[in-house]
Amino acid sequence: GDSWGIFTFLCAALCNLPALPALNCSEELGAGQSIQQTYDLTRYLEHQLRTLAGTYLNYLGPPFNEPDFNPPRLARAERVPSATVDLDLWRGLTDNARLAANYRAYSRLLCYLRVLDGQVGTAELRHRLAHFCASLQGLVLSIGGVMSSLGYPLPAGPAGPPAPPGTPAAPNDFLKKMDDFWLLKELQTWLWRSAKDFNRLKKKVPPAVVTLRLEARGF
Amino acid sequence: MFSRWNWVACGFSLVLSICSPDASGGLVQSCGHIIPESPVLALGSNFTALCILNESCLDFGNIYASQIIWKIKNRVVPKEQYREINRTVSSVTFNDTSSLATPLTCNILADGQIEQNIYGITVTVGLAPEKPKNLSCIVHQVSRFTYVMTCTWNPGRHTFLDTQFRLRYSWPGEIFPDCIPKDVNNSCSVTDIQFFVNTEIWVEATNALGKAESDPLVVDPIDIVKPLSPQNVSVSSGVLPTVLKLSWENWISGPVMTLKFNIRYRIVGDTNWMEVPSEDTASPRTSFSVQGLRPYTEYVFSIRCMKEDGVGYWSDWSEEKTGITTEDQPSKGPPIWRIIDKSHSPACWIVHLIWKALKPFEANGVILQYEVTVRDKSSLSAPVKKYNVTSTNHTLQLREGTYEVTLIARNSVGASPPSVLLIPASNSKAPVKNLRTLPKQDKLWVGWTAPNSYVLKYVIEWCLVSSSSDCIIEWQIALGDVQGIELKGIKPFKCYLITVYPLYADGQGSGQSVKAYLKQDRPSKGPTVQTKKVGKAEAVLTWNHLTVEEQNGFIRNYTILYKTIDGNETVVTVDPSKTEYTLSSLTSDTLYTVRMMASTDSGSRTGPDFTFTTQKFGKGEIEAIVVPVCLAFLLIVLLGVLFCFNKRDLIKKHIWPIVPDPSKSNIAQWSPQVPAKHNFNSKDQMYPEGSFTDVSVVEIEADDKKSFSEQDLKPFDLLKKEKTTSEGHSSGIGGSSCMSSPRQSVSDSDEGETTQNTSSTVQYSTVVLNGYRDQTPVQVFSRSESTQPLLDSEERPEDHAGGADSPAQRQQYFRQNGGQDEINTDRPCFERTKQITHANEGDLVGFVQLQISGQSSQPLGLGMEKNTQEAALSNVLQTCTEGQTVRPETVEENPLSVDEMPKCYLPQTVRQGGYMPQ
Repeated sequence: GDSWGIFTFLCAALCNLPALPALNCSEELGAGQSIQQTYDLTRYLEHQLRTLAGTYLNYLGPPFNEPDFNPPRLARAERVPSATVDLDLWRGLTDNARLAANYRAYSRLLCYLRVLDGQVGTAELRHRLAHFCASLQGLVLSIGGVMSSLGYPLPAGPAGPPAPPGTPAAPNDFLKKMDDFWLLKELQTWLWRSAKDFNRLKKKVPPAVVTLRLEARGF
Repeated sequence: MFSRWNWVACGFSLVLSICSPDASGGLVQSCGHIIPESPVLALGSNFTALCILNESCLDFGNIYASQIIWKIKNRVVPKEQYREINRTVSSVTFNDTSSLATPLTCNILADGQIEQNIYGITVTVGLAPEKPKNLSCIVHQVSRFTYVMTCTWNPGRHTFLDTQFRLRYSWPGEIFPDCIPKDVNNSCSVTDIQFFVNTEIWVEATNALGKAESDPLVVDPIDIVKPLSPQNVSVSSGVLPTVLKLSWENWISGPVMTLKFNIRYRIVGDTNWMEVPSEDTASPRTSFSVQGLRPYTEYVFSIRCMKEDGVGYWSDWSEEKTGITTEDQPSKGPPIWRIIDKSHSPACWIVHLIWKALKPFEANGVILQYEVTVRDKSSLSAPVKKYNVTSTNHTLQLREGTYEVTLIARNSVGASPPSVLLIPASNSKAPVKNLRTLPKQDKLWVGWTAPNSYVLKYVIEWCLVSSSSDCIIEWQIALGDVQGIELKGIKPFKCYLITVYPLYADGQGSGQSVKAYLKQDRPSKGPTVQTKKVGKAEAVLTWNHLTVEEQNGFIRNYTILYKTIDGNETVVTVDPSKTEYTLSSLTSDTLYTVRMMASTDSGSRTGPDFTFTTQKFGKGEIEAIVVPVCLAFLLIVLLGVLFCFNKRDLIKKHIWPIVPDPSKSNIAQWSPQVPAKHNFNSKDQMYPEGSFTDVSVVEIEADDKKSFSEQDLKPFDLLKKEKTTSEGHSSGIGGSSCMSSPRQSVSDSDEGETTQNTSSTVQYSTVVLNGYRDQTPVQVFSRSESTQPLLDSEERPEDHAGGADSPAQRQQYFRQNGGQDEINTDRPCFERTKQITHANEGDLVGFVQLQISGQSSQPLGLGMEKNTQEAALSNVLQTCTEGQTVRPETVEENPLSVDEMPKCYLPQTVRQGGYMPQ
């Protein structure tokens, strides 16, 4: 019974193979590629942020640029999407949920980052921030791309042009700096975790798997 | 543009307004306008323009659309293209806009023939932009964090219009600011690039006639990066002499891009790069150890990188860095050879050991010294000699024998394997056979056939043959299994002497030599030919061989080319060993041009021309002519002499007529005063009348010749007269005749005729021996008719001498006469006188006159006269003439002297009164 099943499966697969639209094929191949690309971009952003954060914290001045500066997370900082979810819990989520969470988080972070970009005094830092923003925008697009290539719907909400944050500005300069500090810190955490996510996803969707999925879809 | 054209339009309407009679003071208003205003037209399309006249103008100007004339620049558009739409509108249509130009004007013929401009427009003709093609982009890394994306494309055809290109790029849902190229239309650079996101890039071209977009290029910019080449490349030598370690820094950090590398290296001075296998350097790294290098060699390294997955572009090669591997011991012994000089004495050799410095890859370091070991093989007891040498040669003095020389090169690491050379007592072994050469491009291949026995190796010696210096030997060693090698560094057109020696384990074969050229050329000059000997029909040509330097190849033959000036050239080929050639069958007394050509395998060259003229006569020809002619001449002379000798009497009779001997004259018979002398009869007998007939024969001859003047003949006439009128009369001739001058004699003879008749003075008879014709003055024998009595002393001997003579002794008589009278005068003197008179024949005429005048001014006696003569003549002459009375001038007697003579003569007789006529 089993062998017959396998045989018919293969026959069907073979019969359907030529009928498969070429678009499908490239789309599926593109999924692995775009995951890899998103992973690379995440690593690239991590790398960028490492230098950018250092520069920016220096710009903020002490105590923010001190290596062991670890202020308590204020309530108002909660508006910045936090990556401090339990790792096991995070792993327990579906790919779709994780990708959507990433997508949403980066969209929000990007909004805050753009606000931050507009306030920076030095041209050099502003330029680097702008570049980082553009890259982060690319990441949001990439995640969207990965999701669509994997057949997941884009999460509703702040997709496309991110909405300006509704929260009022910080009451004083220090609190504002604290917001910036936390923004960068959260970004770092998110990027670190995203890299892991995409690396895992990358392994999950190798070319072989893509073929299997193709066959599955063919049925 | 618009405003400008408004101005133009205003300008046109202004003209019209001024001209219009009713426009005074009104607003400047155009009488019409053209639709469309300032059109931009596609090239080749059709176009219609309308000129619309204002109603206001129609009223006062009586102008209608039918009067409209369209013009392009100043050229009227043909009427066929017009169409009158209504009373105020005229249209013009152009099927092809390429015939259009700016401005297009609408004019009107107002008031008959006055053409007035209504309106004008600019027309711009161009093309819509083409779709830009071949869009390609590359991301250049400019610094560690800066990347610039440069895209280039083909803008397509020229549009003749202002066309704007813009490079556009976008992400899905995000469009970036356009990149607008500056100054160019085919490339643009974007400075802010985001990696790892697929970007769509395209080019948009826009102008007034349209817009075109290129095909989009979708690319992740990280895939088109050309990174900066690695920096700070350094080379360090490792522990092994064959390894160098290369280190560098990358410009790109791992998260951005992982890299792979290419490492290339070469030996300094070499141009060929070697490459480290790319799979060894396909992973990210900052150092690499290059292996398999040569010891003690300087290498140059260079490195480049690109994205690890091979997508993108290779960076440029990095700057070159050099490094030297460490030393190693020499890998082989130096090749060694010897030159043996046996010239001093055969038993004592001077052996020059020569060896070649090891090539760098063999030496593996700096050779510090060579160790030479010489072992005498002929006597086992002889000690082994060792020498440490730093140069590459060593000279030894060895006794004749068999030696084994071992050479070791040593550097700081160690010693080389030994090179062994056996020097046998004699090169008795078999030589190579069939030695030959063959040029192979710039090398000369030398081949040989191996001898039958096993050969260890061959030594090939070669040297440049030169006429000026010794052969400087170069040499090379070939292994025993080869039968030919290629010699490098051989110059073309030079002669090389190549010698090959086979070396055996137990001896050495004698050398075989061959001469060779790598490449032959024609000789650099031709031989200079000369003649060694030129004959009538042949010429021996000689020349020198060309020097080795001039030959440029093997002289295969000489060619002699010779020709006459207008003749064909004759060519003779001569063996190259000769330096002389005889041309034969030449034409005599002809100018020949000869030149000589030396030929090698690859050409020939002609030497300078040499010309020579063949002789008119062959060898011995002149002699053959001259000798017989001379002999014949001599024979003739001899015959003539013999003839003369035989006929001498006859000749003598002709030349020297027999003069009667005065001493035998019977003067007493015709002069009554003179008493008859003794011997008179005998004298008379001696000189019979018959002898005078001979004299008359001379006279006849003179007549025949007619060169004799009458005066010349006078003496003879006189003689005849004397004979006829006073036959036999005589005077003491002899010495007195010598004392009296011939002139006197002549004048005497002239005067004599008169005086004989008129006066009673007794004259000396004069016998004149005239100079025969123009010949040497002949002795004149004068018979003086002077009244001066002869001195006994003078007369006597003469009488005695001459008296007893026979006619055969006549000549002798004259001589005696001279001899006796001129006792003090030598015989040669007489001869000299003759010579002088000879030479001064012409002068003597004058001299005679002088003498005569002298006589006239000093009409003294004989003694004085004698003095005068002495003064006039040279002593020698005088002394001679005294005796001989030889006077040619007597023959050419001057009439003047004839007149004068009596004056001088007569007083003489008076003065010398002592000698009265007897």
